[in-house]
Amino acid sequence: MAENLLEVKNLKKYFPVKAGIFKRTVAHVKAVDDISFVVEEGETLGLVGESGCGKSTTGRTILRLLEATAGEVIFEGKNVMDLDKKEMRAIRRDMQIIFQDPYASLNPRMTVADIVGEPLDIHNLAKNKKERNEKVREILENVGLGAEYMNRYPHEFSGGQRQRIGVARALAVDPKLIIADEPVSALDVSVQAQVVNLLQDLQKEYGLTYLFIAHDLSVVKHISDRVAVMYLGKLVELTDKKELFDNPMHPYTQSLLSAIPEADPKKKKDRIILEGDVPSPVDPPSGCRFHPRCPKAFEPCPVKEPEFKEYGDGHYAACHLLDQ
Amino acid sequence: MSKEALVEVKNLKTYFYTEEGVVKAVDGVDYEIYPGETLGIVGESGCGKSVTSLSIMRLVESPPGRIEAGEINFKGTDLTKLSEKEMRKIRGNDISMIFQEPMTSLNPVYTVGDQIIEAIMLHKQVKRKEARRQAIEMLQKVGIPLPEQRVDEYPHQLSGGMRQRVMIAMALSCDPQLLIADEPTTALDVTIQAQILELMNSLKESYGMAIMMITHDLGVIAEVSDRVAVMYAGKVVEYTDVDTLFDDPKHPYTWGLMNSIPKLDKDVDRLEAIPGSVPSPLNFPEGCKFNTRCPLAEGKCFDVEPPLEDTDGGHMVRCWRYEHLEEIKKRGERIYEDRGVQK
Ligand SMILES: Nc1ncnc2c1ncn2[C@@H]1O[C@H](COP(=O)(O)OP(=O)(O)OP(=O)(O)O)[C@@H](O)[C@H]1O
Ligand SMILES: Nc1ncnc2c1ncn2[C@@H]1O[C@H](COP(=O)(O)OP(=O)(O)O)[C@@H](O)[C@H]1O
Ligand code: SF4
Ligand code: SF4
Ligand SMILES: [Mg+2]
Ligand SMILES: [Mg+2]
Repeated sequence: MAENLLEVKNLKKYFPVKAGIFKRTVAHVKAVDDISFVVEEGETLGLVGESGCGKSTTGRTILRLLEATAGEVIFEGKNVMDLDKKEMRAIRRDMQIIFQDPYASLNPRMTVADIVGEPLDIHNLAKNKKERNEKVREILENVGLGAEYMNRYPHEFSGGQRQRIGVARALAVDPKLIIADEPVSALDVSVQAQVVNLLQDLQKEYGLTYLFIAHDLSVVKHISDRVAVMYLGKLVELTDKKELFDNPMHPYTQSLLSAIPEADPKKKKDRIILEGDVPSPVDPPSGCRFHPRCPKAFEPCPVKEPEFKEYGDGHYAACHLLDQ
Repeated sequence: MSKEALVEVKNLKTYFYTEEGVVKAVDGVDYEIYPGETLGIVGESGCGKSVTSLSIMRLVESPPGRIEAGEINFKGTDLTKLSEKEMRKIRGNDISMIFQEPMTSLNPVYTVGDQIIEAIMLHKQVKRKEARRQAIEMLQKVGIPLPEQRVDEYPHQLSGGMRQRVMIAMALSCDPQLLIADEPTTALDVTIQAQILELMNSLKESYGMAIMMITHDLGVIAEVSDRVAVMYAGKVVEYTDVDTLFDDPKHPYTWGLMNSIPKLDKDVDRLEAIPGSVPSPLNFPEGCKFNTRCPLAEGKCFDVEPPLEDTDGGHMVRCWRYEHLEEIKKRGERIYEDRGVQK
């Protein structure tokens, strides 16, 4: 079995909600509320869930772009939360992030060569300007952009090309883990496939490990080895992708899968239509957070929180039904 | 089809005159919508889906926009010829529209009730009290819980899904014959999208109206459409009934779109990616507008734009070489191969 590259243990991230003239904290957004999972070396773990459930916050907290409220993030045996500034900088080389919006995440005043070269400078990975440019050229070629693009600015590129620049920047420092936060969501359908294929090729080529965040379940199914499903700051299910799609245990996963419109007009799905909206993470429902919308809720659900635990070979879920 | 079309769009051209040049957003579009059916319009961002629908509503911002040529026949009247005053009677009454981002089309300073009541009073001869009663009834029909209470709330107090329900309530309050829905679920989560699509389907049945559903999501298209128009670079490139389109896509672009999305029920190692990106409408290529990305392009494709042609009992395709694609499909080969990482 593969080694765990990343272990996330009881991670929490609460954001204060401030109000009044003295901006006192009156409540907390429990964006990530006690989640645990591991990412094995060389695998792609997909993280899915609806808007606002805490996916991006999870990714950012792991990288310490946000400070965790509680919990541990262990990368190659070291607790990232305990590292000082210098150690943190070293470890950032190994953990990179790609953002959703290729328009907003690149500095419009920097050339492509500088965008991709900047992380090389930060980590002193090139001896001189010539070597730096050589490296940048090589990386750009690897993501399918020719050297002729080096002195152009981000606005001169299409969405798909900009996302390639984002990927190139992340790759520049030769990382081990890439957290990809909705890397294809903002792209046109016909261009999404280009970036998905690229990420898969690079993974093979460099033995990369991915935490792939998305709300599109079919893309997640295509690219992941295992998939974790998140709802209102909690993990509700995590397992092998085939198992998750063939045999979802959690009622939320079941309804999420049934809700996806499939590109096949002959297929009339048996939909589980959920009632109501996703509740606010400021004051999440008691007991099981899914209970106000769950078609299968029963007595313990509003009062007791189900435990996230293993039900058979690496299949984790949190639901009282499974203990019946 | 023997039935008479409710809407018939003929050679519609809508251009924008900008500083950088003429944006040919819609450049010769033809389709029909029949009473009670759903026409799906699918294509990537910028291909002219929204401008087509805004043209039907005569809501294209002018200047810089202008309907350059063509006809939009609605029950025999050419909408492009109507005055703004005549158009106002049709908008919201015979034809209604809902948008992708409901927040931009709801007025934040009025309660949702006031906005629906105003729409009702504008088109129906009823007193305010009756209009309010009807507004509450509509909110209930679109599945808003506690409608008597919600009617007095402001848009920001509602979630995205509820706002879209309010938009639908407003759009349907005057019993339109055509509802234009421009990406109505794109901003919503899948579980909420499922609710809204189900709602639209059931309302369509009970109201017997026609729907023009605009989306970039082939899943949504498959789910709701009777017939589909695939758009690329301001033109319809393929146009047929939904089953035929998914069984037998004949245009290389449609084929590419279908194979570039992963399927839940079928695993492939590698997606077929269409290379490149949509050309800028400021400088579309000569000949077929898909020729910069099409692996089948050759000779004529670079010089002459192909017409939208009936290939087989109403299956319309705009491609010189669709028969060639048929052969490739028969051999079970891929047409889009990307080079992958070089090294
Ligand atoms: N800086 C912040 N301050 C306060 N609340 C925040 C902050 N960042 C995120 N949140 C809240 O935390 C919750 C989780 O947000 P997050 O961005 O992680 O969601 P997500 O799952 O990535 O959603 P999406 O699919 O929309 O990207 C949301 O309720 C969000 O409003
Ligand atoms: N007000 C405007 N001024 C200039 N160009 C416009 C305007 N509105 C739309 N366009 C252009 O028209 C083309 C088609 O746009 P649109 O119909 O909105 O595309 P979509 O298919 O994504 O709905 C795009 O290139 C867009 O940039
Ligand atoms: S614990 Fe109860 S409410 Fe939660 S998912 Fe299971 S059955 Fe539904
Ligand atoms: S006409 Fe030529 S370039 Fe255009 S889609 Fe057909 S084969 Fe491709
Ligand atoms: Mg996010
Ligand atoms: Mg649009």
